[in-house]
Amino acid sequence: MTLFTDTFLIALIAGIAASGVPLLLAGLGEQLSEKAGVLNVGIEGMMLGGAYLGFYIAWATESTALGFVGGIGGGILVASLMALFCVRMGLNQIVIGIALTLGAEGATALLHHVQFSRLYPRLPDVSTWRIPFLADIPIVGPALFDREPVVYLAIALVPILVYVYRRTHLGLALQAAGDKPAALDSAGQNVLVIRTFAVLSCGALVGLGGAFMSIVGAGVFVPFMTHGNGFIGIVLAMLARGRPLWVLLGAALFGACLSAATALQVAGVDIPTDVVQMLPFVAVMIVLLLAGRNAKLPAALGAAYVRGER
Amino acid sequence: MTNKTTKGAVRLISALALAAGLGTSAMAEEITSIAILTPETGTDFGWNQQGIDGAKAAGDALGVEVIVAENLGYGDVRPTLRELSEEEPGLIIAHASGYNTAAPEIGTEAGVKVAIVDSPSALTEGAVVDYTASGHEGAYLAGVLAAKMTRSGTVGIVTSGEPPSWNSQSAAFAEGVKAANPDLVIRYAVIGPAAYSDAAGGKRVTESLIAAGADIIFGQGNGSSFGMLQAVETTPAADGGKVMFIDVIGDKTPIDKGYLLSSVLWNLTPVYEAMIEDIRADKFGTRNYDINLADGSVALLKSPQIPDDVWAEVMEVQDEIIAGSLVIEPKFDADSVHALVTGE
Repeated sequence: MTLFTDTFLIALIAGIAASGVPLLLAGLGEQLSEKAGVLNVGIEGMMLGGAYLGFYIAWATESTALGFVGGIGGGILVASLMALFCVRMGLNQIVIGIALTLGAEGATALLHHVQFSRLYPRLPDVSTWRIPFLADIPIVGPALFDREPVVYLAIALVPILVYVYRRTHLGLALQAAGDKPAALDSAGQNVLVIRTFAVLSCGALVGLGGAFMSIVGAGVFVPFMTHGNGFIGIVLAMLARGRPLWVLLGAALFGACLSAATALQVAGVDIPTDVVQMLPFVAVMIVLLLAGRNAKLPAALGAAYVRGER
Repeated sequence: MTNKTTKGAVRLISALALAAGLGTSAMAEEITSIAILTPETGTDFGWNQQGIDGAKAAGDALGVEVIVAENLGYGDVRPTLRELSEEEPGLIIAHASGYNTAAPEIGTEAGVKVAIVDSPSALTEGAVVDYTASGHEGAYLAGVLAAKMTRSGTVGIVTSGEPPSWNSQSAAFAEGVKAANPDLVIRYAVIGPAAYSDAAGGKRVTESLIAAGADIIFGQGNGSSFGMLQAVETTPAADGGKVMFIDVIGDKTPIDKGYLLSSVLWNLTPVYEAMIEDIRADKFGTRNYDINLADGSVALLKSPQIPDDVWAEVMEVQDEIIAGSLVIEPKFDADSVHALVTGE
C-alpha cells in the first residue's frame, strides 16, 4: 500500500496549521508584551486559562464562536493578574510569570476534575471556511485553504501587527514603553497604561491560541494540555526580536517539522525517535538565530517602571 | 542435679524464646499507611486512575491507610515527597516515570521506602523497588484482535512517549498482529517526548495514521489518549467506515461513543498488595514487580464491537499464554519496537 497518498499528505500539511496556529498566537502575544517591556513568562498559564474557558463555553453553549471569545476572556483573566502584580505593583516579572503558570495549571486541573473528569465531553468538528479557487489547489488547497476561521485570523494578525508597530502612534508608544519608558512618560503618555494594554492584549492572543488547542486541536480539555506551547511561544518571540513575520515563519517551521517527524515515523524510517523529535526545536533555533542576529530586544525588557526612579 | 539441669534447660528455652520473639518483632515491620503520588487526577480512565484505585484496594484489603497526592504534574515533586515523608508512611508509591529520580532521593533522605516505575535497576534492599508494569501479554492479544478486525489491512500504534511500559506493549501488539496475519501493515508514531498530556498532539498524529490507511488504532497515552479518541470519533477510515480504538490500562467504556474496540486492562492491586506484604515480611527491595494474564492483573476488555467468534479465537490465544505454551517476552527498548514496525 502506498503511504504518500493525497489523503496522507493533506493530513500532514493540515497538521502544520493545527500545531502552528497556537504557537503563532502565543508568539505574537509575547512579542507584543515584550515590545512594551514586559517579559511575560506567564503565557503558558494564560494559554491554559484560554484553553479551559474556551472549551467550557464552547461545550456549555454549543457555540465554537462563543468558545473562542471565552478563550480570549480566559487569557485576559490570567493576564490581568500579570498586569496587576508586574506592571502596577512592579514585582519581578519572571517570578510572577512562573507563579501564574503554576497557579493556572492547578486551577484548571481542579476545575476539570470537578466538571469534566467523569464524562470527558468532546466537541464536534469545527466548521471551516473554504476559500474559493485556493481551496481547489491539489493537496495544499484542502489542507490550508479550507480551515477554521481562527486560522485565517491568526495569519491576518501578522500584517496587522506589522502595520501597528510601524505606522501607528500605538506602535510607537509600545516601543517607547519597552525601550525608554521615562521618555514616554516625559512625553505625557502613561507608561503603566501602555504596558497594561500590552499585557492584556497578549493575554487575549495567547488565550485564543489556548482555545484553538482545546476546541480545534483536541476537541477536548485535559489538564496540562498546552504542553509547553506557551514556552515555545516565548522562544519564538525572543528569537524573532520584534518582527511578527518571523514569528509566523518560526511557528510554520515548527509545525512543518512536527509533521515531518510524524511522516518519518509513519514511514518507518529507522532512526531514533528522540532524534526525529528534536527536529522542530533544532530547526527553529538555527533559522531564527541566524535570522535574528542583528535584531535587538527592548532595552527596558523585564524592568518595572516606577516614575522618578532611574 | 536433675533439678539444676531442668532449671537450666528452662532458662535456655526461655532465653531462646525471648530472643526469637524479639528478633521476630524487630524483623516484621508494621505498616499502617502508604502514600501514592500521581501526575494527573485519578479520573482519567487510565494510568492515574488505575494507580490510585489499585492502591486504595490494596489498602482496604490489608488494613492500611492510603494517602493520595494526585494531579502533581510532570515537574519536580520533591517538595510534595518531603511533605508526604513527614506523615511517615510505610511506603511511597511514585506513580510516574518522571518521578523515578526524585523519589529514591527523598526516600533515602527521609528514610522512607519508595516504589518507582521504569527503573528496574534501581532495586535497593529495604529501600527501593520498581514496578515497571507491562501488559505485554494483553497487548499481544490486542494485536491478534486488531489483525482479525481490520478491514484496510493497516493498523496504527500511537504513543505519548517511549517509556519501557509503552514499548513492551507496542512491541507485543505488533507481534500479535504479525502472528495473526503477517501481511498486515503496522504504522507507528510517537506524539512527542513525554507528551502524556498533549491531547492536541494525540489527535493530530492519530489523524495522520488514519490518513495513512489505519482503521484500528492502538493508543497509549494519559491525557493525550482523549485526543486519540477524538480523532477516531471524528475521522472516517479510507473506506468511509468507522475507525476503532484499542486503549490501554483503563476502561473508557463509560465515555465511549461506539468506537472503543477494546483495552488492555491493568489491575495494580496485586502489585501493591505484594509490596505491603513484602514490607511486613522484611523482604522489601529484594525483587521487582510485574503484572500478567495468569493472575488477572492484566486482561483484555470485551466490548460490544467484538463479534463472538473473533473473541473466542482471541481467548484461545489467551489460554495458550496462561498455560505457558505461548510465551510473550517483554521488549522494553524502543529499538525493538522500531524493528517490528517498519511501516511497509
